[in-house]
Amino acid sequence: MEELKYILVFGLLHSSTYLAFSLGFSLILGVAKIPNLAYGALYVLSGYVAYELLTSLGLPYYIAAGLAITLTGIASLLIGEAAVRPALKNPVGIFITTMSVAYILEEYFKMSMGLRPVTLPMLSGTVSVAGIPVSNQWLLVASVSLAMTLALVLFLRKTSVGVAIRAVAESWEESLRLSINPLMVLRVTLLITGLYAGMTGVLLSPLKALTPSAGWTPLFAAFAVVILGGVGSVVGTAIASVIYGLVEQAVTFTLGSGLARVVPLLLIVAVLLLRPHGIMGRGE
Amino acid sequence: MFVRAGITRRVLRLLHGLLAAAVLLLLPLLGLRGYWLDVITRVNIFLLLTLSLDLYSGTTFYLNLGIPFIAGSAAYTIALLNVYQKIPLELAIAPAVGVAVLLSFLIFLPSLRVRGIYFSILSLLLPIIAMGIVTSQPFSLYLGGEGGLSYPALLYSYTRSLPARERLPFLQLSYFYISAVVAIAAYVLTYKLAYSDLGFAMRAIGQDEVLAENAGIDTFKVKVVSFLASSTLAAVAGALYAAMRPPLTVDILIPANTLVPPLTAVVIGGMGSIVGPAVANYLLLIVYELLWDFVGRWRTVIFMALLIAMVISKPQGVIFSLYLKVKGYLATKLRSLKT
Amino acid sequence: MSSILVCDGITKRFGGLVALDNVSFKVDAGEIFGVIGPNGSGKTTLLNVISGLLKPERGRVYFNGTDITDLKPHERVALGISRIFQGSRVYYYLPVYYNVLLTARSVLKDSRLAKARTTWALTLTGLLSEVAELPTRLTPYKLRMLELARAIVTRPRLILLDEPFAGLSQEEVGNVISIVEYFRRSGTTFIIVEHKLRYLMKMAERVVVLNNGVKIFEGPPKEAVKNEEVIRAYLGVSIGAST
Repeated sequence: MEELKYILVFGLLHSSTYLAFSLGFSLILGVAKIPNLAYGALYVLSGYVAYELLTSLGLPYYIAAGLAITLTGIASLLIGEAAVRPALKNPVGIFITTMSVAYILEEYFKMSMGLRPVTLPMLSGTVSVAGIPVSNQWLLVASVSLAMTLALVLFLRKTSVGVAIRAVAESWEESLRLSINPLMVLRVTLLITGLYAGMTGVLLSPLKALTPSAGWTPLFAAFAVVILGGVGSVVGTAIASVIYGLVEQAVTFTLGSGLARVVPLLLIVAVLLLRPHGIMGRGE
Repeated sequence: MFVRAGITRRVLRLLHGLLAAAVLLLLPLLGLRGYWLDVITRVNIFLLLTLSLDLYSGTTFYLNLGIPFIAGSAAYTIALLNVYQKIPLELAIAPAVGVAVLLSFLIFLPSLRVRGIYFSILSLLLPIIAMGIVTSQPFSLYLGGEGGLSYPALLYSYTRSLPARERLPFLQLSYFYISAVVAIAAYVLTYKLAYSDLGFAMRAIGQDEVLAENAGIDTFKVKVVSFLASSTLAAVAGALYAAMRPPLTVDILIPANTLVPPLTAVVIGGMGSIVGPAVANYLLLIVYELLWDFVGRWRTVIFMALLIAMVISKPQGVIFSLYLKVKGYLATKLRSLKT
Repeated sequence: MSSILVCDGITKRFGGLVALDNVSFKVDAGEIFGVIGPNGSGKTTLLNVISGLLKPERGRVYFNGTDITDLKPHERVALGISRIFQGSRVYYYLPVYYNVLLTARSVLKDSRLAKARTTWALTLTGLLSEVAELPTRLTPYKLRMLELARAIVTRPRLILLDEPFAGLSQEEVGNVISIVEYFRRSGTTFIIVEHKLRYLMKMAERVVVLNNGVKIFEGPPKEAVKNEEVIRAYLGVSIGAST
């Protein structure tokens, strides 16, 4: 019984982070029609930047975090300009360029920050959730993630920019006709996803050690969640992240974290077998 | 299927090919020894990876980032067969390739049925996940841990009768010739495949898959067959690499080592043109090997930056203009046909 | 009168959007059948379902009595269904001759037959002088002819045309129509989606009218024009107007 509670509690906590993270990923996927493979690297970037600001400059946590997040947003924009925009006509190309950016960043991290895992300080104290002690940091993470999700949903529904983003995700040609500038929308989307990746990085780094290669796991999790839940469907993504979080925890618990890495792989293969006509397939 | 090039062209092409093959095979006689022999051997094996990538991804434009996984599976299989089952490396090559191809095929099969990015995403995941599994308990215990799996190299048993001084040169020379012969064979087979009916169907899929389906092409079957061919190439590369370079570490699964060099060769050489990436493979990868002494690990970063630059500026590849010329030739040939 | 194509209760959804809602109709062998309706009514989606590009959530498609709903596009091509897409969709990297030959070879295994058919198709569509050209150098009319050549080279029983008259002058439309008539005389059935109703209404024996994915009329064009719902669906756009 204890194990089940453990899996449930930590599974759902993980799900909340995956939700916010995956939504940012889903956004750029919907707009640029290509996954931004550098997304995981952005997550790592913000963690390292925050760490540097905290240790080398001694800045207080919230300022370091804020700066790190902003920087990541800007980095996302730059990556977009350099690697995404020029290759837009060439979907294969975007795959190659964003993947290269991710690896270049990873190599840079390896050389500048070393391979040793790095953590940020976390909120002290724990709280008891259904009898399980949970760090306050987790509560912070969960609440911020849910707030981020809500904010994004409202943004996409209610603001004119958000509606423009959804229009471009539907069809670039149509939005051109509606005098929406898809490139500007692309830039805004890149900024938003950068900020979301940054926020997740800063929030999770106290809990999960940061290494140069740590960006791939969240990226694959985002892939699995988005493929499972459907691009553009917030409800789908929410359900998918719950499933993903729980399954991942269950596997980690029973088989160890090494094998838990297989989870996104298995989920994607399973989706392909069961719903091959693509959650992504919208007609053509 | 399409116009067979005129007799002069074909003879010229054959001569070029024979010349290149002859040069390759005669290199040791021309003085190539030691360190450089090793380098060319390695580049020969890389050619298999380049051809694998070009054959599938260069034509269908489905990016197969899982090359490190396929090669790594073959590598680990052959190593494990030797270490735990005491099967000599020479005999273990075929089963290792078979296992790797079968495994990759089973994993990728669902993604071959559908269009879109699933295939590439899956291929991106695999090497990294495999790396994670291989380095974690309990697998790392069986797979050699940090130092990797150790075993005597290919053909080592044949060197026992030789004096100690001659053992290394013998192995180096043998490895060179094995890799050269395999590379030449792989090139010929890939070339024939890429310009066969199947190859044209693959390119049709790459240009417009929906149109291909409506033109009567069974896209699933085409993708399956070409995937099998492509993964066989990668698996052979992995098995040979493991056999020739013990100890086997998890490095083979790292995309930066196994994916980036062939990918760069394919992009610069021109996706879909077999000649281009083959030439690029030799030009680039010799540079790549040299860079290690100058910039060490940064060489991968340089290549990746090169990749980005190429994709942005000249996506059809530098050597691809050759392909365009061939196409132009076909068009002129047709014009003369109808008169 | 045998039905060459039967659509029974086709429903197709995209996320929350219902593109086709319980659409059923029959097409008789050898007739010219029109699919009309305002923008976004689901016409192209319907063609996609018939040609196999999309699988409907509900409903079946029958071709000559056989249930083809689960067949892939290339299998339907082999059975005798050909299709032209909206907008000129050809292989721009292949010369004209090979665009057509590719299709011929995929369906007809005999390479000599395929080549003969290709020449025949290109002759019929008047493309013989352009066999070696790349499609990028063709006029819109010649491009359309290329698509037609590709569609007819397998001598299909049923051809789906999606906006075949778009971008063509009156004379060019006439050429397309005469090719259609030529094949119709040998028993080929045509399903045509078109906006240029002036021509379609004269050609088609029967039409089906879609609005927002729902079938609102099936029958002869003369009666479609008089149907209240049809007129309302087009919101005042006179059926006789050219687009």
